[in-house]
Amino acid sequence: MVSAFIFRRFSTNQIVRFYSVSHGVKTITHVNKTCCTLDFGCNVWRPVKILIPNNYHALNLSLCYSKMTDQSRNAWIIKDDPRLVSARQKDFFVDILDDRRHTSDLAWSLRQRDEPKYQYNKPRSPAEVKGHVLKSDRVKYAIEKTMEETGKSLEEVTKEAVYIVDEMAHNLRVGVIRCFAMVLVKVMKKLFERIYVNEEAIQNVRAMLKEYPILLMPSHRSYLDFLLMSYVFYHYDLPLPVIAAAMDFMGMKFFGWLLRNSGAFYIRRSFGDDQLYWAVFTEYVQTHICNGDSPVEFFVEGTRSRTQKSLPPRIGMLSASLEPYFKAQVPDIMVVPVSMSYDRVLEEKLYAYELLGVPKPKESASGVFKARSILSENYGNVHIFIGEPKSIRTYSIGQISRISHSISPRYIASLTFREQALIQKLSYDVLLQQIRNMAMSPWSIIAAVLLQNMDGISMKELLKEVDWLKRQASNLGAYIDWPVNESAEAVIRHNIFTHKNIATVTEDNVVELIAEDTSLTQNQDPLFTSAAQEMMVCLYRNQLLNVFVRVALIAIPINSCVQETMPLSELKAHYSLLEKLLSREFIFMPGDAEKDFDVALASLTHTCGVVVENDCVLVKKSINKYTTFFSQMFEPFLLGYWAMCRYLLSIEKGSHGKPLVKLPKTISKEAQVLSAQLIRDGHVKRKEILSLDMMSNSLQALYDLGAVHKEKREGTSYMYPNLVLLSKLTEDLCKFIDVPDLPRTTINVDTKTVTVNAKL
Amino acid sequence: MSGITKQTSLKSSPCASESDPPSIPKRRQELLKWNGWGYKDSKFIVNKDNHVEFTGERYQLSGHTLTLLRDWMIATIGISLDHKTPPQSEITAKDMPPPVRNEEFLADMRRTNISHTDDCQDRLFRAHGHTLAEIFTLREGRFKRIPDLVIWPINHNEVVKVVELACKHNVCLIPFGGGTSVSGALECPANENRMIASLDLSQMNKILWVDEKNLVAHAEAGIIGQDLERLLAKKGFCTGHEPDSMEFSSLGGWVATRASGMKKNIYGNIEDLVVHIKFVTPQGTMEKSCQVPRMSSGLDIHHFILGSEGTLGVVTEVTLKIRPVPECKRYGSIVFPNFEKGVACLREIARQKCAPASIRLMDNEQFQFGHALKPEAKSMYTNFMDGLKKFYITRIKGFDVHKMAVATLLFEGAKKDVDAQEKRVYEIAANFGGLAGGADNGERGYMLTFAIAYIRDLGFEYYVVAESFETSVPWDRCLDLCTNVKDRLHRECKERGIQFPPYITCRVTQTYDAGACVYFYFGFNYRGVQNPVQMYEDIEACARDEILANGGSISHHHGVGKMRKPWLRKTVGDVGLGAMRAIKEYIDPNNIFGNQNLMVGEPEDHHVNTVRNVVASKL
Repeated sequence: MVSAFIFRRFSTNQIVRFYSVSHGVKTITHVNKTCCTLDFGCNVWRPVKILIPNNYHALNLSLCYSKMTDQSRNAWIIKDDPRLVSARQKDFFVDILDDRRHTSDLAWSLRQRDEPKYQYNKPRSPAEVKGHVLKSDRVKYAIEKTMEETGKSLEEVTKEAVYIVDEMAHNLRVGVIRCFAMVLVKVMKKLFERIYVNEEAIQNVRAMLKEYPILLMPSHRSYLDFLLMSYVFYHYDLPLPVIAAAMDFMGMKFFGWLLRNSGAFYIRRSFGDDQLYWAVFTEYVQTHICNGDSPVEFFVEGTRSRTQKSLPPRIGMLSASLEPYFKAQVPDIMVVPVSMSYDRVLEEKLYAYELLGVPKPKESASGVFKARSILSENYGNVHIFIGEPKSIRTYSIGQISRISHSISPRYIASLTFREQALIQKLSYDVLLQQIRNMAMSPWSIIAAVLLQNMDGISMKELLKEVDWLKRQASNLGAYIDWPVNESAEAVIRHNIFTHKNIATVTEDNVVELIAEDTSLTQNQDPLFTSAAQEMMVCLYRNQLLNVFVRVALIAIPINSCVQETMPLSELKAHYSLLEKLLSREFIFMPGDAEKDFDVALASLTHTCGVVVENDCVLVKKSINKYTTFFSQMFEPFLLGYWAMCRYLLSIEKGSHGKPLVKLPKTISKEAQVLSAQLIRDGHVKRKEILSLDMMSNSLQALYDLGAVHKEKREGTSYMYPNLVLLSKLTEDLCKFIDVPDLPRTTINVDTKTVTVNAKL
Repeated sequence: MSGITKQTSLKSSPCASESDPPSIPKRRQELLKWNGWGYKDSKFIVNKDNHVEFTGERYQLSGHTLTLLRDWMIATIGISLDHKTPPQSEITAKDMPPPVRNEEFLADMRRTNISHTDDCQDRLFRAHGHTLAEIFTLREGRFKRIPDLVIWPINHNEVVKVVELACKHNVCLIPFGGGTSVSGALECPANENRMIASLDLSQMNKILWVDEKNLVAHAEAGIIGQDLERLLAKKGFCTGHEPDSMEFSSLGGWVATRASGMKKNIYGNIEDLVVHIKFVTPQGTMEKSCQVPRMSSGLDIHHFILGSEGTLGVVTEVTLKIRPVPECKRYGSIVFPNFEKGVACLREIARQKCAPASIRLMDNEQFQFGHALKPEAKSMYTNFMDGLKKFYITRIKGFDVHKMAVATLLFEGAKKDVDAQEKRVYEIAANFGGLAGGADNGERGYMLTFAIAYIRDLGFEYYVVAESFETSVPWDRCLDLCTNVKDRLHRECKERGIQFPPYITCRVTQTYDAGACVYFYFGFNYRGVQNPVQMYEDIEACARDEILANGGSISHHHGVGKMRKPWLRKTVGDVGLGAMRAIKEYIDPNNIFGNQNLMVGEPEDHHVNTVRNVVASKL
C-alpha cells in the first residue's frame, strides 16, 4: 500500500536515498547511478517495482528487503566493517575526482554552470578589458611620460602599449574552458588517485565572491598548481580565475594559446623601470579587481619553489592588486591563501637537477608531449586546502589611513611606507598560512627518517621512527594525511611504491634509497647523478621542515652546547642568529622572532623533554632524541652555509688587500665546486650541500647580515666578503655543527680545482 | 588690527516689513513640535485605515493618503504596525536640570530691558538641534545640560550689550538662529559650569534696507529663509538661497555654518552671496568698512566668520546679493538606466557649465522611496498616464526598475534662457541614456526633500532611527565613494547584528566644476538593539571614516559642530587647527562663546593651552 511517491529529479547523478518504512524498521539505501529521489512512506511492506525514468534502472525493492538480517542495526548498514573508512570524505576534505570516475566527463564539462557574480560587476569581454586598459588615465599618463622621456611620437608609444597589452591579456572563453576542462579531468584522473578539497571553504568563497573582489594566492610547488586551481573552480561552478603567469609559457605553441584562453595572462619576469609596462600591467590587474570580472590568481612566491619549501614573498603583484583598496576604488579585497600539497611532485627530477645547476629544459610544446610518459605514472593524492580569507580592510584597521591618497589622482602609482610594510606583513602571513594548511604526506616523514639513515633502515626500525616523527609533527600542528584504516606498514609500503624511483624495500625488509638513476644520460658527473637522487628525497623532507624549523633552531644550540647550562638569553641570541641566517631558506615573519622563540621553546619544554630552570636550559638533561633528531634534520643547511663561508674566506685578495669582487652567480657556482671537492675527499657525506639554491640563499643571508658586501658596477651587482664579520660568523657556525678540519683551502677557478690543504 | 573695530553706535533704521509679525513666535513650541521636525499641524500619521496620511493644510502633500508608503516601509525597513514606540509626554521642569544662576548678570540683564526668560520649556527648546541623538533624547530621555537663560535681543545694539554683560560676568553664550542644526552645534557642553545663556536671534527678523542700484539687501541675522524670500518677493527680488531647511533656518545660521542652497548654480552658496557681515565678538564688533564686490585686504575676515559655528561671536546683520525674481521657473526630470550613467551625465553637465538652478540625482532606492510617497491618484487619467509612462520606460526602453536612477531639475531665469538650457541639458542627458521624465516627477523629487524631514518622526514611532549626512567629493571619486560608503554601512549593520535590512540611499545634490555634493540617508529598524542611538552614531562614524578614505570631506554644508570634531584635525591638519585656535584665543580669550563646536574652546584639551600660551606670548 504505497501511499505516496515523490519523484525529485536531479540534474546529474546523485546519491539516491530512499526510505522505506516497514514494520518500524527504517531502511536507507544508497544507490549510485540513479537520477531521482523517492520518498515514500508505507506501513505494510510490498515489493514495488519502480522504473526510474532517467537511465532506466529498475529497482526491485524486495531485493533490499531480502538482504535484511535479524539484527536491526544491520538494516541501515551496507558494509558491515568498522575499519572501512570512506576515502571520498576525509576530515574536512572531499575527493572531487570520485564523481568524475563514475559519470560522463563530456556531460560534466558541458553542463550548465551557475556562477556567482560580484555585486558591482559590469559584464565585459576580454577585448573590452583591453580597451579599458588602453583608455585608462594611468596608461595615458604613462604614455605621455614616455613620450616626454624618449621623444617618441604618440603613435609609436601607443603602439608599444597596444603590443604590451596584447602580449599580456588573457582571453578567457567559456567554449575553450569547457574543452580544456574535459581534457584536464581526464589527465587528472590519470595522474592522481584523489584530489581532495576542503569543501566547506568553497561555500565560503562562493558567498564572498558576490560581495568582494578576490585574490587567490596558492602555494607554488608545481606547474599543476594553477591547473588544479582552475579545475577546482570549474568543478564547483565558481568563476574561473585569471592567472598571472610567467612569460615562459607563452612561447609554447598550443599550450600557450590554451592557457591564455583559459584565463592566464602573461607577465614579463622583470620589467624594471619600464613605466609603460608597469602602467599597463597595473591597470590590467586592477581593472579586473575593481570590476570583479574574475578572481585574480597569482603566486606570492613568484616562481615554483624547487625545494618544496616556500620561497620568500615577492610583493610587486600583491601591491598592485591591493592598491585599489588603499585608493578606495573597491570596498574591500579578500585575500585567499590556498595550500596545494602533492604526495608526489610531477617535476621532482627536474627540480633535483635544477637545484644542482643543470639547466631545466625550456618549456616547449614538445616538452609537454614528452610529459605523456608522466601520465603512465601514479602521483598519489593532491590536497587542496582553501584557507581562511583575509579581508584587507580588517587586516589594515588601525594600521594605515587611506586619507593620504585624497590629494592626488589615483592613477599615479603611490603607496605609503606604512602600506608597503603592511603588504609585506600580509605576504608573510599568507605564506605562513599556506604552510600551516599543507597536508603532510606520510612520504615526507619517511623521507626525513631515510635521510638520517642513508645506509638503509630495517622496516621495523623505520616503522618505529616514522611513528615517532609523525607524532612530533602532529604535536606541532601539522595535518598528516595518514589513513586510519590501514596498518602503518601498509602505508609505508604503499608510499614507497609510489616513490619506487627513489626508495625500495629489499628482500630482507630493509628500506634503502636507490643510489643512482640509471636511466639518465651517461655523460653526467656521477657525483651529480647520485646527488640528484638524494636531492629528490630532500624535496619531500623539505615539506616537513617548515613544521620543525622553529624548534630545531632552538634544539641546535642546545644540542651543540658544551656547558652544563645555557642561559635563555644566550639561547635566544643563538636562535635569532640562526633565524637570520636561514631567513632565505624558511619563512619567518619579520619582527616575530621573539614570539616564535617563546612558542617553540614552550613546545620543546612541554613535549620534548627540554628542561628549563631559573631561566637556564639544563643542557645535559635536554639533549635527547628530540633535540638530536631535530638538529640533525637541519644540519645539512648549516653545513652548506659553512661551506659557502669557507669558500668566501678563501677568495684571493687583490692588490689592495681587498677581496676580488665576483658575480653572485659565480660565487654560488664556485662554492659548489668546493662542496663537491669536500664530498669527493670524504670530508662531508651529505650531497645536499651541492644545491645551488642553498648556496645563493646563504650568500643572500650573509649579505643581509653584513658579512658580504655588494657593489654595483655598470648596473650589475658584484659581491665580496667582509672578512672580519665573515670569520666571526664562520666560527659561530662551527659551534653548532661538526665540520671537517680544514685550516686552508685554495681554489683555482680557471682549472676548477680545489686544493684542500690539510697542513697547518 | 585692521578689520576689528570697537562697536560704535550705529543707528539702524528698519525700512521694510515692520508691520509683519514674526513667522516664528518667541514661544516656538506654540507653533512648532517640541520633539520633532517642523510645524505641529503637519505630520505623517497612520490613519484608521492603516494607511499613512500627511496631516494639515500647509503643504501639497497635506491631507493626502499615501497608499504605497506603508507597504514600502514594511518591505524596506521591516517595520510592523504592531510594534510602536510612542514618545514620552512633555518633559516638565522637574526633569530638567535646574538653571545655573549668575545673579550679577541677571541683575544687569534686568536693568537693560532686553527680553529674557528662564522658563524651562523655552530653555529646553534651545538645548538642541535636529540630530538623531537630540530628537531621540526628547522622545525618550532627558538632557544633562540645557541653557539656563534665553535672551531675545531685538537689534544689533542689544546684542552688543548682552555680549558685553556676558564678558563682564563670565557667562557662556550660545547663539541660536533657527535651531535646525544637524551637527550637535546647539548642544550645551556638559562640562560647562558657568551660566549658559541662549542668544535667540529670532526676533531680529527685519530686512533693514534694499539697495536696488547695487542689488543688495541688508537684513538682520535672525530672519528665516522663507520670510526673507517672501518679503523680498514683494519688491520683486529674491536671494535665491534655498537650503532644504529654509522654512526654519536663519540668515545668521547660514553664515555661521557656511550653508549651501539648492539653487547655488545660479545664485551661489552663502559665501558667494554675502557682501557684508556685522559680527559681534567679545573684543567688539568685527566688520569691513565698505560694501564692495571683492577686495584684496589680507586675510579675508569674512572667512573667519563663515563656518565659525558660534565659537567666535554672533552675526547680527548681513548684506546679501539679491536678484530680480526670475521670469520663469520650471521643473524637470531625467530617468537614467542606472546611477553610474546619471553621475557621468551630471559630470558632463558640470563640465559644460550648463547646470540648471538645481540638479539632483537620486539613486534607485531613493527613486523607489519617491514613488512610495505618491499620493493616491486623484483620477483615472493620471493612473492611466502613469501606467503608460512605466510601460514606455521599462518595456520599450528596457530600463530595469531596480536599477534606474532619476535626476530632478529646476530651471530658473528668462523664458528663452530656460528653454535653451532645458534643451541643452536634455541633449546631454540623451548621450548618457537619459530620458526626460516629466516635470511632475521633478517637482515631487523636491517635495520629497521637505517631506523626508517630517517622515523621520514617523519612523521614530515604529522603531526606526534615521538620519542624513553629506559630503563633498571630487568627480573622479564620486561613484566609488557612493558605492563604498553604502557597502560600509551595510557591512557595519551586518556585523553589529541589526536584524532588519537597513535603508541606505544616496543622491548627488550639487555639482561643481571640480566635484559634487553627495547626500546619504541611513536608517534602520532597531527592534532588538540595546542602544540604537549609540549604534547609529558608531555606524555613521564608520561611514564618515569611509568617506574620508574615499577622498570625501568632513562636511559639505552641515558643518562640524560636535558630531564631526573627530575628523577636523585630519581635515585641516595641525597647523590649520592651531590657526583656528589662535584666532579663537584672540577674539574670545575667555571662551564666552563657549559652545565648544569645532575644536576650539575645549577647556580640557592640552593643545588649547599650549596654543594659548604661544599666542599670548606673541601678542
